[in-house]
Amino acid sequence: MTAAEPILRVRGVAKRYGPVEALRSVDLAVARGEIHALVGANGAGKSTLVRILAGVVRPDAGEVEVAGRPVRFRSPAHARASGLAPVFQDPAFAPDLTVADNLRLTATDPGAFRRRLSGLGLDGIELREPAGSLPLPLLRMLDLARVLAHDPALLLLDEITAALPADYAERVFEAIRDARGEGRSVLFISHRLLEVQEVCDRVTVLRDGRNVDTLTIADGAEGSAGTLAERSERRIVAAMLGERAALAVSEPRRVAPPPRAEPGEPALELRGVSDGGRVRDVSLTLAKGEVLGITGLEGQGQDELFAILAGDRRASGGEIVVDGGRLVARHPYEAIRNGLVLVPSDRWQALLPQRSVRENLAVAQYNAPGRWGWINAERERRQVAGAIARLSIDTRAQAQAKRLSGGNQQKVAIGRWLVGGFTTLLCFDPTRGIDVGTKHQIYDLFRELAAAGKSVLMFTSELREVPLACDRVLVLYDGRIVAGLQAAEADEATLLSAAHGLADTLTESR
Amino acid sequence: MSVVEAATRPLSPAVGLFARRHAWTGAVVAFFAVLLAWNASQTRNFGAFEIQTMLASTLALAYLAMAQSVVVIGGGIDLSVGALLVLANCLTARFMEGTGFGGSVLVAAGCLAVTALLGALTGLVISVSRIPDIIVTLATSFVWGGAALFVLRTPGGGTSPTFQTLVLGSGNAWWPALLCLLGPLLLVWAPLRRSRRGIAIYALGSSSDAAFLSGVDPLRTKVVAYAFSGLLCGLAGTATTAFTGGGSPQSTIAMTATLNSVAAIVLGGVALSGGIGGLVGPVFAVWCLYLIPNIMLGLGVDPSYGEVVKGVVVVLVVLVGGLLRARRSRTG
Amino acid sequence: MREAVVRDDAATPEPGLLARIAAGDRSTLALIGVLAALVVADGLIDRSFLSLSQLRNTLLVTAPLALMAGGQTLCMLSGGIDLSVAMTATAAAYVTGVQSSEGAVTAILAGLLVGVAIGLVNGLAIGVFRVNPLIMTLGMSGILTGLLTVGSQTFLGGATRMSDLVLELGGGTIAGPIPWNLVVWLLLGGALVVGLRRTGLGRLIYAVGDNRVACRLAGVRVWQVETAVYTLCALLAAVAGILIGGRSGSVDLQLAGSYLLPSVAAAVIGGTSILGGIGGYTGTILGALILAVLDTMLNLLTVDEALKQVLYGCIILVLAWVYARGTASA
Repeated sequence: MTAAEPILRVRGVAKRYGPVEALRSVDLAVARGEIHALVGANGAGKSTLVRILAGVVRPDAGEVEVAGRPVRFRSPAHARASGLAPVFQDPAFAPDLTVADNLRLTATDPGAFRRRLSGLGLDGIELREPAGSLPLPLLRMLDLARVLAHDPALLLLDEITAALPADYAERVFEAIRDARGEGRSVLFISHRLLEVQEVCDRVTVLRDGRNVDTLTIADGAEGSAGTLAERSERRIVAAMLGERAALAVSEPRRVAPPPRAEPGEPALELRGVSDGGRVRDVSLTLAKGEVLGITGLEGQGQDELFAILAGDRRASGGEIVVDGGRLVARHPYEAIRNGLVLVPSDRWQALLPQRSVRENLAVAQYNAPGRWGWINAERERRQVAGAIARLSIDTRAQAQAKRLSGGNQQKVAIGRWLVGGFTTLLCFDPTRGIDVGTKHQIYDLFRELAAAGKSVLMFTSELREVPLACDRVLVLYDGRIVAGLQAAEADEATLLSAAHGLADTLTESR
Repeated sequence: MSVVEAATRPLSPAVGLFARRHAWTGAVVAFFAVLLAWNASQTRNFGAFEIQTMLASTLALAYLAMAQSVVVIGGGIDLSVGALLVLANCLTARFMEGTGFGGSVLVAAGCLAVTALLGALTGLVISVSRIPDIIVTLATSFVWGGAALFVLRTPGGGTSPTFQTLVLGSGNAWWPALLCLLGPLLLVWAPLRRSRRGIAIYALGSSSDAAFLSGVDPLRTKVVAYAFSGLLCGLAGTATTAFTGGGSPQSTIAMTATLNSVAAIVLGGVALSGGIGGLVGPVFAVWCLYLIPNIMLGLGVDPSYGEVVKGVVVVLVVLVGGLLRARRSRTG
Repeated sequence: MREAVVRDDAATPEPGLLARIAAGDRSTLALIGVLAALVVADGLIDRSFLSLSQLRNTLLVTAPLALMAGGQTLCMLSGGIDLSVAMTATAAAYVTGVQSSEGAVTAILAGLLVGVAIGLVNGLAIGVFRVNPLIMTLGMSGILTGLLTVGSQTFLGGATRMSDLVLELGGGTIAGPIPWNLVVWLLLGGALVVGLRRTGLGRLIYAVGDNRVACRLAGVRVWQVETAVYTLCALLAAVAGILIGGRSGSVDLQLAGSYLLPSVAAAVIGGTSILGGIGGYTGTILGALILAVLDTMLNLLTVDEALKQVLYGCIILVLAWVYARGTASA
């Protein structure tokens, strides 16, 4: 066994589900002590490949070699025993069991676990607490610590930084680099190209079930403008999408602010809203025809704030004013009746998985007992078709919404409100985990809606998309709005420091 | 307060953690104590005899409640426990007839082997077919019911009187029944609960995804859970034979027994969603459900109203319990 | 409900044949095929099966079962179940019997009212107070059993004679092989099939069973839908109970006990998933017919009761397996 031999070699792996090939033929090699990124649009096959490597599903064809030996994983336990350790977006902790009992399931040594936790900067976690009582980002870190405690040869990290606060993400990167120093390898799946460039040594790009490009981060495309980082990013995006789309997509849009309604015509106003918990004192004004972004670190009150606006949660103080009238919503129905509709961050909270696209789009039409009667089929058809066309929803797999790709599912979640009608669209992380092409379609949609006089209030954890999607951006910190900027002036550094509570940077523009 | 600080608050003392995890069982035990005291106050000379009667007449249902608990904790539900009880009852009654104590014990052992096997088979079918537990066990309840009819066409059969006495006790000797109850609890459940397989059962009920990713073999775990449950159903059927001195293949008995087992586990702190609860709470719940009609009789009320009260109690307990659990998880 | 272990962001493809059979209207064709095969088999075994009087008998038995199974279908579609249908049917029959001295129509209305009341209590407990449907309806079943046991000796005692209209509806014939209760069934059944497909409430029943949280965020007050579902279910059970009581002429506690598990079985055979969101009444109708014809066939073959039970169980298992394979390949 030479040092040059890759720890993982994948050759010609294919997987089909019925008539569709999720993976056609993938070749991949991860060297020892390498951090290797795996990127690709939704539907490119990343998730399937990871599931194969984790032992969750079996490939139809191809070989997988770990340290030169061919393997066929029978189960996640088998994969783990071979040295491959995945960390998925849903932490693999049974919520009703204590952390300690969960560790026993995987035969993890508590001592090694605690050491790895320390390495991640998390000391003093009570292992006898039920796992379900811990917050999700913390559980993700515990999952990572658990996996590291088994001294794996290869870590499979699936979007590990999605929904992790920036400080946790930093610790994760440190841990990854340490792992590399220990001779371990990491397969790093991510949608965030910035991270990929920061942390990884090489990148493999998947498209349509095949690997189409593999590049070392130090390279870039020759003979083109921009910094090294920009060039490699362009090359990656080009590989992900195919040449033409890349150039259009990688340039940030500079759009003139759309015409505003006269002052005094806000679509939505919040005055000192609080909920007795994380939301302390939020005040903001959303004008008609505006796309307003809110950003912040994890746990600053954004989940609760949006739940309040959507009518899913009660505010304990302050006022919400919609169209001049005070809104007190005890149920989402009341918010919706006032024009406030929510597209949740989690698609599984928005979709009816076994029902058709049509039923998904139309469901809000029947949400009052007065509408329980006979359905006007023709009118419904028209409305649904309109939404499908407007959003370019791919309806090939329309019998059941669960079969749609992530991007299309998100479009259906938004499309429901195009059918139902609204004044203000509340979106929570609308583009999380979605491929670049669909992301831009969504940004364009927001622009169109704004131009038509609707308003959009969106929370995003991806700072880069702020200038692409929003007119203005507010920063939420510790339950308060601490900064407000025009989107065109909002660069990541400024937003990030404001998000950390360094308020000396900005004036408030509400 | 950052997320990490929140999670690493001054650690609850071990006692506090224990109390929280066993709160429900404690409540049921307390409820039982209250009911027992009440019933005792109604009865003159309340003593060992009444205890023996209670233990003997509830032994079968207590076993059944334990059987249902194991399955529900593992994330399933078993609508066939009653039918399996009836099958075991008929098997033992048919073959114990005319035998002595030794023969009866052998028959009982054979019956337990059969029901454990049938349970394992049920678990296997559920795992392989991906049909929800409730439907598979609905189907098997018919099959076991039919099998019982094969064994005993009409009520009949018998058992050795010595066997009856040694299992259930008689007169003032209440300890045999209690020993029989403690047997599977101490000899099987206690070690299983602490073992990896036992934790796997809880994990499977708590989150089958997380369990699978953690390397739990869902098939083996389900089979073990259902096999143990089958064993307990066999014990329940044997206890019924001992109690009634015979066997009856009536399907209504099966249905009622199954429904009672679900009521008992819910009262006993087992969450229908899985992953939460134990076997001790349901046993105390069975005793509570037994005492309620007795108390009502003592109050001069028609004991049929006892059914009504039991139904209302179960519903209220689930209601309140559900609210409490929801509140606790929201603050987590 | 969470589907895959890891949420696959790729589109999953259209399902294969088996899956489509399971998932959609193709299953109706398959079920019709099974039913036809059974009818033919029955006719071959005993020619008199195809006689008008035998046909009538089969339908007489099926109508109440199909009505109860219809209620069960609604509950299952919304993600629940109703284990109190049998006792609800018995309670309605009792009340109708007791009130028969007040006139047939009053008696029937009283029985239906009892059904509605029971359904409301179930629905509110499940919808508003979030009691698990299995437990709530189980508890209700016990409560009704107790009340009826006591009642049959006291306030409900003695008056078990049904009025003539009820006797006619429950056991009488309109013409040839067509019993009156079939007409009742057709009317209500038709309303169910159409209602589930073409009304807003029907859509919501499916939606609530599929994803409760998404419904709430779409502005649906789920408790209203659930209350409606359990009320309708109990109402259908009440109708069934009155019909059964009408056919037998008298009422006792065991009136409808044997209908409980078959009501669930019919819905399962018909393709309605116990987990909610998938299925429909058309399948349930076929399921009920299949069960009834099968029962007759086994009786004709003088098959042992024991073997009958075993076969029953196996059939449910096989069909459920076919459906499960279908959805699993998704």
